[in-house]
Amino acid sequence: MFSISTDARGNVLLAGRFDASQTDQARQFFDRISDSATVDFVALDYISSAGLGVLLATQQRLKKDGKALKLIHMNPLIRDVFRIARFDLIFHIE
Amino acid sequence: MHEDFHKDLRSLDAVFEFLDKFALRERLDSKAAYALTLAVEEFFTNIVKYSKAKAGMIGINAARTGETVTVKLEEETPIPFDVTLVEPLHVAVSPAARTPGGLGIHLARCMLDELRYDYEEGMSTITLIKQVREGNV
Repeated sequence: MFSISTDARGNVLLAGRFDASQTDQARQFFDRISDSATVDFVALDYISSAGLGVLLATQQRLKKDGKALKLIHMNPLIRDVFRIARFDLIFHIE
Repeated sequence: MHEDFHKDLRSLDAVFEFLDKFALRERLDSKAAYALTLAVEEFFTNIVKYSKAKAGMIGINAARTGETVTVKLEEETPIPFDVTLVEPLHVAVSPAARTPGGLGIHLARCMLDELRYDYEEGMSTITLIKQVREGNV
């Protein structure tokens, strides 16, 4: 189960499993973001390369306008995936 | 444990359910369970997207013997594709500058202990091996 929404503070909230069957839904959501944004991983249990691809595409698009995604509250297992992919080089992770 | 899944990304929820049951039964820790789930998803997705046999099923077999967990993905296909021969990802290059593709296999390779490929009489088998500590929970 995967969900993506905006919380009361305007942060993007990811929850559940961000896998290859969820990329269309996520891409549609992230395509509407045009300013710098914080993505909260607190309720996300899992991400694979498919989810990383959606985040990377968004980051690259925003970067052209000097904007960026900031990623917060990542669990250690997901943080490890970002480290192995070296995505920690292109995202600000808190 | 063995189960067959339709060659479709919509099968992923059922694949995850199968792997969750296996991890629980074998008392795998969260790190080992994550690694196996991710590796299975990456190869399952690759088969769905790129297999020459578009229809059909993917069989997943998962077993633990002592400290070794072995998961096999089996598919009937007319043309073999040896995943162990895929060029390594150039991780020294920033993700933003990389040629697209190959990230999933890179992640799987890094998180597994061994990856094997066999093709015999039209049956393609990807074998994922992960070492786990005895009594891991």
